[in-house]
Amino acid sequence: MLRATIKSLLARKVRLLLTGLAVVLGVGFTAGTFILTDTALASFDDLFGQVFANIDVVVQAHQAFNPTQGGSGGSGGGQELNPVPEDLLPKVRAVPGVRYAEGSVQSFAQVIDPTTGEVVQSGFSPTIGSSWSTDLSAFTLDPGGAAPVGPHQVVIDAGTATARGLAVGQQIRVVTPSGTGEYTISGFVRFGTSNSVLGASFAIFDLPTAQRLFQREGKFDFIYVQGDGSITPDQLATAISGVLPQRFEAITGTTAASVQQDQVNKALGFLRTGLLVFGFVALFVGAFIIFNTFNIVVTQRSRELALFRALGARRRQVMTSVLVEAAVVGLIASIVGVLVGSVLAIGLKALVGAIGLKLPPTALVVAPRTIIVSLILGTTITVVAAVSPARRASRLAPIEALRETAAPSVAIRRRVIGGSLVAVLGIGTLAAGLFAGVSNAGLVVGLGAALTFVGVAMLSPLVARPISSTLGRPFRRRISGKLGGENANRNPRRTASTAAALMIALALVAFVAVFSASLKSSVTAVLDRTIRSDLMLTASQFSPFSPQLAEHLSTDPDFSAVSPLRQGAEAKVRSSTTFPVGVDPATLTDVANIEMDAGSIEALSEHNSVIVSRTEADSKDFSVGGKVPMEFARTGLKQLTVVGIFEPNAILNDYAVSLDTYDRNVAQLLDTVVFLKYAPGVDQAAARAKVETLVDKDYPSVQVNDQEETKQQYVDQVNQIFVIIYVLLILSVIIAAFGIVNTLGLSIYERVRELGLLRAVGMSRRQVKRMIRVEAVIIAVLGALLGLAVGILFGWAMQRALSDVGIDRFAIPVGQLVVWLILGALLGVLAAIVPARRAAKLNVLEAISYE
Amino acid sequence: MSQTVTKAAARTDGLRKVYGTGDASVEALRGITLDFAAGGFTAIMGASGSGKSTLLHCLAGLDTPTAGHVFIGDVDITQLSERQLTQLRRDKIGFVFQAYNLIPTLTARENITLPLDIAGRDVDQAWFDEVVDTTGLRDRLSHKPTELSGGQQQRVAGARALVSRPEIVFADEPTGNLDSRSSEELLRFLRGAVTDHGQTIVMVTHDAKAASYADRAVFLGDGRVVDEMELPTADRILDRLKSLEV
Repeated sequence: MLRATIKSLLARKVRLLLTGLAVVLGVGFTAGTFILTDTALASFDDLFGQVFANIDVVVQAHQAFNPTQGGSGGSGGGQELNPVPEDLLPKVRAVPGVRYAEGSVQSFAQVIDPTTGEVVQSGFSPTIGSSWSTDLSAFTLDPGGAAPVGPHQVVIDAGTATARGLAVGQQIRVVTPSGTGEYTISGFVRFGTSNSVLGASFAIFDLPTAQRLFQREGKFDFIYVQGDGSITPDQLATAISGVLPQRFEAITGTTAASVQQDQVNKALGFLRTGLLVFGFVALFVGAFIIFNTFNIVVTQRSRELALFRALGARRRQVMTSVLVEAAVVGLIASIVGVLVGSVLAIGLKALVGAIGLKLPPTALVVAPRTIIVSLILGTTITVVAAVSPARRASRLAPIEALRETAAPSVAIRRRVIGGSLVAVLGIGTLAAGLFAGVSNAGLVVGLGAALTFVGVAMLSPLVARPISSTLGRPFRRRISGKLGGENANRNPRRTASTAAALMIALALVAFVAVFSASLKSSVTAVLDRTIRSDLMLTASQFSPFSPQLAEHLSTDPDFSAVSPLRQGAEAKVRSSTTFPVGVDPATLTDVANIEMDAGSIEALSEHNSVIVSRTEADSKDFSVGGKVPMEFARTGLKQLTVVGIFEPNAILNDYAVSLDTYDRNVAQLLDTVVFLKYAPGVDQAAARAKVETLVDKDYPSVQVNDQEETKQQYVDQVNQIFVIIYVLLILSVIIAAFGIVNTLGLSIYERVRELGLLRAVGMSRRQVKRMIRVEAVIIAVLGALLGLAVGILFGWAMQRALSDVGIDRFAIPVGQLVVWLILGALLGVLAAIVPARRAAKLNVLEAISYE
Repeated sequence: MSQTVTKAAARTDGLRKVYGTGDASVEALRGITLDFAAGGFTAIMGASGSGKSTLLHCLAGLDTPTAGHVFIGDVDITQLSERQLTQLRRDKIGFVFQAYNLIPTLTARENITLPLDIAGRDVDQAWFDEVVDTTGLRDRLSHKPTELSGGQQQRVAGARALVSRPEIVFADEPTGNLDSRSSEELLRFLRGAVTDHGQTIVMVTHDAKAASYADRAVFLGDGRVVDEMELPTADRILDRLKSLEV
């Protein structure tokens, strides 16, 4: 039996190749994700190893917890740490076993491109400012450069220098927490062999300058220590701890590196999970294609399989033979998939590079785990998808061997019941994941969605015939179109399950489209409702900027209100992470409509008070007068008094505190937004022009936007993210297209005689091609329609689930969905190219001759 | 060329067909020159491997001869391109095959008008009615092929072959899969098309009974025309076949 299986495998190479392709792409993407994230991890490990290569011990302030991101809003450099007083340095230096110790300060520093006047930043990568380390630096100066000395010199990373064409001796503007200054480039640094660190830009000043610019006069962020080798770093750390006051700690360089690695691990974990979702979707779509192919193959081979039965093979043997075939196909495809994954990893690297995460050019890391998981996943999915066809094969009666054509037994009632059950179960699971607040909601939602897809796919043959008949109507005027339509209608199960693959892909596309439209619509509506300011000052990529800008403008009579907002520091409330907002209670109500359920914003001016959103207050049971235990990384646990409950809005997160309270607990004292309101009767255009001139001169990273521009900016950002999601989903769309190619190919193989007859009675090749094309388009549009319907439903469910957190509007981007429908039809046309060509080239004589 | 009384609807001139090359080559037709008179019903007979099917395929433009010429009317079809051949089959030729004659997704009516639909031509309703009435299938027109008996299917195929008024109809063992009653109905239908409407038919068969409906029987053997018989009867054909086998 095994030999017969392998023989039959070899006899159908092309068909298996196409089936395998679906697995190859899904496995490839999964493997690619693993390879990419492993490679990224390895390069980060390498990076942190180098950063702390010369550092045995780090002295820093105690931190209540390690924030998951190393600074505020991706601007980088800002440490949620209390500073270390300068006078600790001599004490540390005096500890026996210390060879050398120096202070270091870090913050953000944005280099301004001299030609464009824009901030140098790729995507969300950090813009880091640092003090120059004379002895412990991991950087090496390029030849011809020198370390920065004095208040007017800066060293830039070689990556930025190369990209922007900078030269030593050139003047350059750099934005720091203290504002914008002009500096002379004294040299370029590179990091080991790479000229940039993960796309980050660096501006490095000498220590006194950095301390002044980063507002750390008399203080350090860290003291870096190198031992003399007489004792181990651990012993050294213990020894140094002995001389430190309570609020400070000494950790080894290795520990410091691993803390940072952990943060990166977490971030990469998110990236990995995010990408794996798309890999699994691709595999899921692929499973439908495998299922479909094996079903058709079993039908076509039913005589052969029944003959096995007639010759005495047991049911189990027939079933095993089909499953072994699936396992072999799955395994081979998975092996190819891992190879493809290595190539895909390079493409994915470019894709994540596009959003700013530039990875150094290290060798790809293919961990054994990657290979094992990929092979198991690909093989298992193929085998599981083949179970139902294999069972069908095993149920063939030996008598079928003698019949002319095997009539597929359509147990339509069982299908309806089974399909409905699965669909209901899926929708129920989905609802539980979205609304019931179960743990692991993401997984539950995913499972629910998958079950829903399977259920809809099982039920879809019921609607396949009426829908495809309707779709075929416009083509009926010509015989080729009519025949194509009839062919699509011929086996509704086959048509439906082919369409199912595309359905899933397009359902996700439609879901994303609907969700992003709802998001944009909700947020812009909220902005309209909430924000009353005339102008909003924000920095690119939400990086913060100096509060001097707001201070400067607050004295300007052209503006009746100037209200800054600070955000970005991570805090914890009962161990869940939140990002509290710092607001000016006196001016906030002038620029924003904050609807209060209880208490008032003005009451925030009281020391250590907080206002809480209604949803958060409900879920954590806070009420006015009660206490919120908020833990800050810098200062630890604080009991804040609740003085108000507000309706969720676009500006405040779950918690808002006064700027004063914010500043007492957060290290980085920078504004993220400044709201401006024109004074009555002011020439608004002139006032705006004045602000823009000021910003261009001193705050190049800041953008001035009015309400409409802000909304547009937000919409653009959302679009940018969703374009990337579309790109990732396209993989599944491609796999679905392969499914159509495969089904058409198999159908043509079945209908050779019929095609021969049509050609014999005078059908031209063009007409044959058109006939196949019409069939493909009908299948594709059927899948697209079902997909769009399911996707809109999912989008609606998601919007309902998130209506509490501000996505309170449901929007269907009709134009966009119509475009996807047309693209779906075009996909059908594309999928038909190869099968149609094959059908047209058919040798008429061979097709019509008898056995 | 002299004007003859009956014009040839089709003819072949030194038709040769070789399959394969070198030692493996098989000569299926070894120089066949034949005329098929317009309005005549010719049966081509011969044992299997005699080349009768190859001859039919070459005549119908489905296969390309190695040498020689095939004329449908005045057109030398060996000179035609693939596209022209397709058009020729569509407009000038009707087919009845042994089996799988019909498109399963189309009704009997749609199958009959298929060549016209492919050509984008209008159906001549009077002619359609006449053809359909002679098949006796008027009440089955809206049925799909699977709902028709074998004999009915073959008569639908016959009607399809006639409905576009082709210059010539080729039938390849049309009764091969039919019982004797269905065979008789089909053959009577074909005979009627010749007698009543002057249709030219060339039919390949190995059944003497079927051949007896023709005006003329041509006997092939080993790729050559070995004999001809005008107004054949079944008995005479059987005798002849016996003598040929000796």
